[in-house]
Amino acid sequence: MKQRQTGILLTSVASFAMLASAAAADTPIRIGVPVGLSGANSVVAPSVVQSTELAIEQINSAGGVLGRPLELVVADDGSGAAGAQRAFDTLIFQRQVDALISMQTSAARNAGLPILSRGNVPYIYTSFYEGRSCHPNMYVNGWVPEQQVPPLVDHFNATYDAQSYFLIGSDYSFGRGMLEFTRAYIEEQGGTVVGEDYLPMDGTDWAPIISNLRTSGADAIITSTAGGAPNVTLTRQLRDAGIDLPYGNLAVDEGTAASMGSVAEGIYISASYVTGIDSDTNRDFLAAMEAHFGDDLRTPNDLSVPQFEAVLAYAAAAEQAGTTDTAAVIDALAEVTVEGPRGSISMSHQRHAPLTMYLGQVTAEGDVDVIAAFDAVDPGDQCPDL
Amino acid sequence: MGNLILDILTTAAILFITSAGLLIIFGVMKIINFAHAAFITVGGFAALVAHQIGLPPLLAPIFALIVGGVLGAIAEAVIVRRLYERPLDAILATWGLGLIMTQLITASFGRGVQFLPPPVSGTVKVLGAEYSLYRIVLVGVAILIALAFTALLTRTRLGLSTRAVIMNEQLAQGLGINSARVRLITFGIGCGLAAAAGALITPLTSLDPAMGLPFLIGAFMLVMVSGGSLPALALACLVLGGLQAIVSTYVGSVLGGLTIAVCAAVALRIRPEGFARV
Repeated sequence: MKQRQTGILLTSVASFAMLASAAAADTPIRIGVPVGLSGANSVVAPSVVQSTELAIEQINSAGGVLGRPLELVVADDGSGAAGAQRAFDTLIFQRQVDALISMQTSAARNAGLPILSRGNVPYIYTSFYEGRSCHPNMYVNGWVPEQQVPPLVDHFNATYDAQSYFLIGSDYSFGRGMLEFTRAYIEEQGGTVVGEDYLPMDGTDWAPIISNLRTSGADAIITSTAGGAPNVTLTRQLRDAGIDLPYGNLAVDEGTAASMGSVAEGIYISASYVTGIDSDTNRDFLAAMEAHFGDDLRTPNDLSVPQFEAVLAYAAAAEQAGTTDTAAVIDALAEVTVEGPRGSISMSHQRHAPLTMYLGQVTAEGDVDVIAAFDAVDPGDQCPDL
Repeated sequence: MGNLILDILTTAAILFITSAGLLIIFGVMKIINFAHAAFITVGGFAALVAHQIGLPPLLAPIFALIVGGVLGAIAEAVIVRRLYERPLDAILATWGLGLIMTQLITASFGRGVQFLPPPVSGTVKVLGAEYSLYRIVLVGVAILIALAFTALLTRTRLGLSTRAVIMNEQLAQGLGINSARVRLITFGIGCGLAAAAGALITPLTSLDPAMGLPFLIGAFMLVMVSGGSLPALALACLVLGGLQAIVSTYVGSVLGGLTIAVCAAVALRIRPEGFARV
């Protein structure tokens, strides 16, 4: 009995699939978004889903892609490896999505890549990350260390004549990866790193590190902790210990800085998106988000805006290729340029995108003052084989 | 050097404050309250509520003590009371209680990080070093808690009953001591202390639904090596917390984070009674 039911179910699924291919002209193009609705990314994930919704709605109201509407399919990846494998599997093989576009943790992305190989769909990764993740089906439009770190170090050199640096991070791949690059860049510029230390992810007491920082005589601090609690704990304790050195934070975003209030005052951040970008595209985008989501709006940020632009990029690539066929779309993705809130974005450089980077400083009111913009910062050699 | 001494003292003080509640419950009831982390979190959020309703910052830990104490007493009466004969089930039940409390806090306050202005800020010059004023205040608070509880145990009727229950519960009952009441009050005080600890550490940590969790393992280890005695806990905090600060300063903070767990395990292997009866 059970077998027969399964048999009927399979037959009906198969006939649906046949119907779908027969009626391709008006069936939706499915965009799969595996994202951390639960776990570490759950604070930012709703903003990412919102910007995807707006992009899809704008594209659909302008006639869709290849005459077909886009359809959003969201799956929770639990912010980690096991959840990402389930989410990729569900989206690619059960929901039959045409492309994956998402912001994820590095662990989740790495776990999903083998499934991407089997399922063979295009994938646009929209999170900033530690760099050098390469896959034939993957494009990246978030920043890498080569783009984020130099504006900070260059500014500290020029403004504060900072020669010696103290680096503090959380003990995990992003924290160590970012600071490894930072150390190399500082030394390349002729500076020295007088101290470098990490606290485990669940550590709460930064006092010994702060004491070492105090005796090191460093001119400036650069930190790369996990977002959320470790970042807040470290910043509070630095402030509480009266440390007032120039302080660059590689892990704080505009929204968190705003909610931290006076504790965050003076922190330097480096990002590819801040809400204060002075362009019509950005103002239109913010107004459209506001109109669409009203009181439920999650403040757009450096993770949700690349997600918005990636949906536009996929739409442009499919239009240019004239098909949703994976190989053709992957070729086209390197060629298209989208005008988004962050400016003109083209993932033309070894699957990564040159980006305009903004150096900002948090004010006493929690706003971010843009101090300098660095045009088209090159991502460097990320995937020389692709 | 001045910095290191202050790091050792203040680290020990924070460890003592965050483990005292767990120790008191373990001392009287011989069960480990795995909801301890959730009660620390309750205290952090109680401080937030105290701020929102306009209480002065000095009263926040006392407000947290009351909130945690009442919730703890309810938990004892509803759940823990049934499990004294089954210590393993008590671990499971208190762990589950902690999960439920954490989810309730998440549901009412959201998953994100909240912020509270610190009651005192700035630094003072002690032992030739600029040092965080609030951390030094915490050393005083830890001493105050230790003195208050020693006085409670040795100078009051309740303390006398409690010590009787600790020594020999059946005999105490035979003498007319209501041991159920002693347990109710003890569990309430332990949970209240955990909550007060949560309120006290918020100026130094993040205020979010998972804030208590990192303190649980350290507190558990310290209570195990202290065997339920308050002076032994103070000594354990000073020795193990001091080692943690020294290792963190001279070797690295990742190894420093392991110090307490490793040293506690080694100490218990060599000397099963740990720091108790030194």
